[in-house]
Amino acid sequence: MNPCLMNTLKITILLVLVLVSASPMLAVGEDAKATPLQEVREFGRKKSRFLQETIGDTLAIRAIPKANLSDFHNSVGSLLEKHCVACHGPQETKAQLRVDKLNPDLLTGSDIERWREVYGVLSNSEMPPEGEPDYELADADRRNVVAWLSDELNKASLVRRNTSEHSSFRRMTKYEYNYALQDLLGLPFTFVDTLPPETASEDGFKNSSRMLQMSSMQFETYRDIGLEALKKATVHGERPEAVTYIISPREEMEKASEKKKAEFFDQNDKNYASNKNRQHLFNQQTGKGLRYSGGTWTPVADAVSGETPAVSPVVVVLPRSHELKLNLGRFLPDEGTMRVRIRAGRTTMEADEYASLRLVFGAHTSNNANFSQVVSERDILVTVQGDTPQFIQFNIPLSEIPRNPFRKLSTTFPRRDELLSIRNVSNAHNKKEPLCVLIDYIEITAPYYDQWPPDTHNSVFVGSSHRSDEEKYGREVLTGFMERAWRRSVSSQDVDPLMALFAKYRSEFTNFEDAMLEVMATVLAAPEFLYVTQKVSASHSPNPQTISDTELASRLSFFLWCSIPDDELLQLAHQGTLTDPRVLNAQVKRMLADSRSHRFSQTFVQQWLGLDGLKSVTHVTDSSLREAMQEEPVAFFNEVLECNSSVMDFIHSDYVMVNERLADHYKIPSVFGPHFRKVKIGSQVNRGGILTGAAVLAMNSDGTDSHPLKRGIWLLEHVLHDPPPPPPPNVPEVDLTDPEILKMTLKQRIADHRSKPACISCHAKIDPWGIAFENYDALGAYRTQVENKAVDATSSLFNKQELAGIEGLKRYLLTDRQDQFARSMVHKMTAYALGRPLSFSDRADIDGMTSQFRKRGDRLGDLIDLIISSEIFHAK
Amino acid sequence: MNNKTVSLNRRNFLYGAGVALALPKFETFAAKTPDLKSAPKRFVSVYHPDGVGLPLKTDPAWEDWSWFPRGGERDFELTKVLDVLQPLRSEITIYSGLSHPAARKIHGHSNADQYLTGAATGGHGAYQNSISLDQVIAAHAGEFTRHSSLVMSTNGGIGGPRGAQTQSFNREGRPIPAQNKPKQIFDMLFVTSGKDARARLSRSKSALDFLIANTRSLGQELSGHDQQTLQQYLDAVRDTEIKLAKAQQWIDTPVPQVDTMHLKLDADPKEARFYFQTMYELIYLSFLSDSTRVATFQLGRENGEGPHDLLSKAVGLGNAHGLTHDVKKPDGWKNLGTYNRYQAEEFGRFVQKLKDTSEPTGQGSMLDNTFAMHGSASSSFHLSRNYPIISAGGKNLGFKNGRFLKFGTGNEDNQAGAGIVSDAGWRGKIEAEELPLACLFVTVLQKLGLDVQSFGGSTETLSGV
Repeated sequence: MNPCLMNTLKITILLVLVLVSASPMLAVGEDAKATPLQEVREFGRKKSRFLQETIGDTLAIRAIPKANLSDFHNSVGSLLEKHCVACHGPQETKAQLRVDKLNPDLLTGSDIERWREVYGVLSNSEMPPEGEPDYELADADRRNVVAWLSDELNKASLVRRNTSEHSSFRRMTKYEYNYALQDLLGLPFTFVDTLPPETASEDGFKNSSRMLQMSSMQFETYRDIGLEALKKATVHGERPEAVTYIISPREEMEKASEKKKAEFFDQNDKNYASNKNRQHLFNQQTGKGLRYSGGTWTPVADAVSGETPAVSPVVVVLPRSHELKLNLGRFLPDEGTMRVRIRAGRTTMEADEYASLRLVFGAHTSNNANFSQVVSERDILVTVQGDTPQFIQFNIPLSEIPRNPFRKLSTTFPRRDELLSIRNVSNAHNKKEPLCVLIDYIEITAPYYDQWPPDTHNSVFVGSSHRSDEEKYGREVLTGFMERAWRRSVSSQDVDPLMALFAKYRSEFTNFEDAMLEVMATVLAAPEFLYVTQKVSASHSPNPQTISDTELASRLSFFLWCSIPDDELLQLAHQGTLTDPRVLNAQVKRMLADSRSHRFSQTFVQQWLGLDGLKSVTHVTDSSLREAMQEEPVAFFNEVLECNSSVMDFIHSDYVMVNERLADHYKIPSVFGPHFRKVKIGSQVNRGGILTGAAVLAMNSDGTDSHPLKRGIWLLEHVLHDPPPPPPPNVPEVDLTDPEILKMTLKQRIADHRSKPACISCHAKIDPWGIAFENYDALGAYRTQVENKAVDATSSLFNKQELAGIEGLKRYLLTDRQDQFARSMVHKMTAYALGRPLSFSDRADIDGMTSQFRKRGDRLGDLIDLIISSEIFHAK
Repeated sequence: MNNKTVSLNRRNFLYGAGVALALPKFETFAAKTPDLKSAPKRFVSVYHPDGVGLPLKTDPAWEDWSWFPRGGERDFELTKVLDVLQPLRSEITIYSGLSHPAARKIHGHSNADQYLTGAATGGHGAYQNSISLDQVIAAHAGEFTRHSSLVMSTNGGIGGPRGAQTQSFNREGRPIPAQNKPKQIFDMLFVTSGKDARARLSRSKSALDFLIANTRSLGQELSGHDQQTLQQYLDAVRDTEIKLAKAQQWIDTPVPQVDTMHLKLDADPKEARFYFQTMYELIYLSFLSDSTRVATFQLGRENGEGPHDLLSKAVGLGNAHGLTHDVKKPDGWKNLGTYNRYQAEEFGRFVQKLKDTSEPTGQGSMLDNTFAMHGSASSSFHLSRNYPIISAGGKNLGFKNGRFLKFGTGNEDNQAGAGIVSDAGWRGKIEAEELPLACLFVTVLQKLGLDVQSFGGSTETLSGV
């Protein structure tokens, strides 16, 4: 049977099914409300059309939209005829518009731009003009025409977007390029600040082939960045002399004792309680203390780094939010790692308190101006008791942090010194025995190298017996580098022109390495590095529509690591075994277990949920709250992925992923510490899942209050993958100077706006979804009252379905929208995995995958396996 | 109009200082102007740290040593601070009531960073700046010249965050190092040192050749659709090739010939007058030869230091930064005013020279096609409000001079923040309403022919300019 015909048949069957199942509206009334959401979820699952055996695996629930000509012929056409054609017809042709000549098929016809104008003036009630009683358009009629036009315009743009074929051939995104350089060169730096930001596709994805353009400015920047990165990865000459600072609280105490003015206090003093909450030096044996903020140090000649001296009784006591300030003078080198080893412990070990260390670096640039910046990548928890302190180590790349530009001056002003501060980031609760960090030893070494030359150098300039022969060795270096950068095996044909380039450059440089770096920078500016390629197969290939094994390795690594494949993946690809399902599965497991997979959850979740939106709101002023908000959905996604749980958890779960700051915001007690963990919330429905995450709610607010419209659109776009049409041009703002409007509640205002005939068709589809979130304020905190009035979060969907607040929304989604959400997940993740927009021709694949996905229990981990083993993932 | 363009007085421009630069025949300068139809549109901004003197009306020093003029838009009267500009009265405009909103409560010591950018660079903690006005112009005007802009300061380099020693910041908000050695600037402008540049260019060209060949062969292995995507890359490489060809042209074009016999290229800030005049002279020469159309020059550094504090030696006063602190001492206002007067005098000398030189390839004088700014981001003692700004020229660009323009409200007599003598004065309450300086910048950008609607958060122009 012709497959197309088969599809059509199935669609017909399906449409019948949809009609049948839609008619007895499943009321989620008072009775159902008592049912726990878990049971609702099971009930809703049984209703899945994807689980119907009879429909099979290639069920297509979405037909290609067709123009709705019958409504036009039945009513819209005659309305236009009656109200518009007198001025826009054969007699008179104002604005050069002949409404009678417009092709009513917006999907295939060529009049879409003119229809868009008609839509604009009708929806803004600009036409027919006022004061023309003969042509006045009744509200019901206007509603009718606008609704038809809005639907047709939306379908037309969908069709236009989806009928063009999209390829996965694309350049790397800015963040992928950064990760690729990091992985290729083994340097955890940010290289890409000078590249312009990426634009997201309609789906919200930044890795979409349709959006990734290339300009000459960008191309030139790639060349510069590549050379700069290579220079940072490689070294010259002898191992540089390191400087080492030793900071010993014991010596500080001794030095202070020699000063006459030193005001010591004793632990037996009456006012000791106030002193012990201050930052001070303390001798745990003698009980003597001295206030202390920090000091100035110079490197110790002949100091050995990496020592573990005996634990000293004299410590720096660092209370919550205090900083130990170390003035390191002007002796730190320009480049290399500054290794900071701090031996620290805690005063108390209460489970509800934590303390961690953070490094801040800066300088004074004039009397009244300074700069400082957090330079440690993350805070490190202090977990041990003070009497058995342990080393905490930070590695800070000196070339990558803001330095004091005056450090090399020969004069003493502006100040040349650089300041390193150790900050105690803690939630210490001000108890009788305060939690402080005790530090008894600090050692700072720079530049610190494990070995010389460092690994980053050796992986570019590999060890070889041909080192003395520049031609031979150069070829060897270049071949290895190209195979990793271009993710394929290279032939001498590939290498020859680059060796020619090297020969040309060589005389201009004093040494082999520098000339070689220039050549390698060219390798990094080539399309085979910058683009994710899929080459046409040779004519004799058995599967001409399938990507090659090496291309598969890249597709995998860009999907799960946002970067280039590692040696193991490439090796399997070269051996031709990567396509073996068992090998492939094992690799996916390995890749997800690798820390690089955090990039996947981070970028996918951010783009899927549009979390960039949080960056553009200004009302979340508490930075730790903002960070926690941003992190929550990613942590939630990771949890679902690691447990291979059902994606229906995203709609609702009986647990949340929170840290202390966020738990506080959600009023969840007894969560301590900055790390995210799973916390059970029982039958509580106001949290759980991603819909009620503070990030989503805060970014979809207007800065002072909730914004139901934004929240509704967000839900439709990101969760249900059913984006509403864009608003007509020049929509008038709600007139807040109108006293009648000012008196209304927000919900009434929205209803008032919606009642306008021109607005109702779209708003009826958006507003009710958003109103269901009314119990959450602009920061996503739960509320039952707004301005002394009880929150009214009930709404009615266009299909008359009642939604009673967030619980009602979750109930409805779990009862009636599981298929839609499951398909949306499959669609979004597949589009992300392929790095291209999906089109109508992909829908059979998506439906087939959704069906399998649902049958296997909607599990997130399974979804990744399904995508990776799908035909579409291996296809060009 | 003065048409004696190649006259002797132009050959002796460092008046009275015994220094002269003999200019070669005029043709050399005119030879390589790529766009002969319209005259070049130029921009120069001179920045002086530390602000100006603003004594209270009740202070006897007010009469002579308050920086802002008295009177109305046309009938304004210059005090002793700016009376050196009296001969140029019809060529200048003085502004009051302008400042960058983000900096109004920031200590003046951090001000040089944000004068041309308008960014919220703050006073402590993490630091981020944005592109400066001159660089927006340079991105456009730089198309026509060998150097897209000239960035100079007395202290040189970039300084530090909140301690800038350059006025210019690139698209990412990173500082562009300023040059401070006349000899180096001169060599860059007028002496070929193309060996390195030539080699670098040749390497880039070979790399591009390789990339084009490599891209072509990759293209043969792609589907028709993907080839179109790759075409964008190829176009990008081609555009870069064209830029390189242009750079090559400049390398192959002889630099303008300038006789250095009498130019004091080893001038040092210690001899501030020579030094200022030489630096201004270099801007003048670079404009005259159309080597660049955009320049910035920072005189000193906020909070003083090194070369900065030597600058006031030219008027017999030490410790330039200290002058702002010492206004409460006997003759304090006078001393600060004398220093500001000297800054205005040197600026005036430069403006006069532009006025006295006919536009080589267009109408009027060079000044008529140049917008020259002179100002500070502090007025009274470290107070980051009511910037004292003078502009000159730009008649052909649509600027109408000979005016004192007051913006904002509540400070018509420029007394808000006047008389501050303590270092804490900058924290004072904001008493008057001022307009964003960035509005003037949008006006400048548009008059210079750029299609720009906003700058530094301002989308409006300054009416009446």
